[in-house]
Amino acid sequence: MSRTGDALLWALYGLTAGLMCVAIYMVFLYAPDELVMGAVQRVFYFHVPAAMVTFGSVAVLLAGSVAYLWTRDLRWDNLSLAATECGLVFCTLVLITGPIWAKPAWGVWWTWEARLTTTLILWVLLAACMMVRGYAENRDLGARLASVVGIVAALDVPIIHKAVDWWRGQHPQVFKPGSDSAMDPRMLNTFVVCIVVFLMLFGLLLAVRFRQAQLDDRVERLVQRIADR
Amino acid sequence: MKSYNFLFWAYNVIWLGLGVYLAVLLVRLNRTRRRVERLEQRVDELARD
Repeated sequence: MSRTGDALLWALYGLTAGLMCVAIYMVFLYAPDELVMGAVQRVFYFHVPAAMVTFGSVAVLLAGSVAYLWTRDLRWDNLSLAATECGLVFCTLVLITGPIWAKPAWGVWWTWEARLTTTLILWVLLAACMMVRGYAENRDLGARLASVVGIVAALDVPIIHKAVDWWRGQHPQVFKPGSDSAMDPRMLNTFVVCIVVFLMLFGLLLAVRFRQAQLDDRVERLVQRIADR
Repeated sequence: MKSYNFLFWAYNVIWLGLGVYLAVLLVRLNRTRRRVERLEQRVDELARD
């Protein structure tokens, strides 16, 4: 990576780390307890942004997959790969923190509720996306298969979003905009800061993973050049 | 108090997950960079021979 690129990455890293400290302060000391759920509701300040970033990752995956199938340019596949891996990490966090909230709130770690089930399906599809790359006979075939699975994964996102309405699930919509229950401004501020921090974190992880994938391609080309001599 | 326990574990999982992932990415990136440098050196040597 160029020096400017490196400097930008480190600046983003420092800014994200600083804002993360602000977010932690706001989550634990600034935001008040929610009246019904109490302290455990604070899980949502990171759980919901992690879910949003998962959806963002899938949007990047969809764009990368369609662009790769259209152009067959491996840079798009590298973008898809980076988005898939980031999406898988954030989706895993969503699936772990969700049950940690559900146990005190619902009395069970897991229930086959519509939103939970469709989110688990998304996790499986993202994992499948990674696996088809790993098991494919060659790079192009892996990229093509992963693109198709990536597009299928993207189809799951609107279903997750609407699952609570369509199947009347019990998953709460605490931060639903325009809902009747007015949110405390301190809770809203905290939530907004957490979303910004997670978006920055996503940008950072995506940039580093994309760079890694580009370097892997370069290694492959250099090895090929040496072998040809 | 019990709900604070759940909160504690939820946030620890998040820090650990993101921290480990970022550390793995940075280690892998540095390793690959060094490999690229070595390979480029090798290509230069072969070009000179």
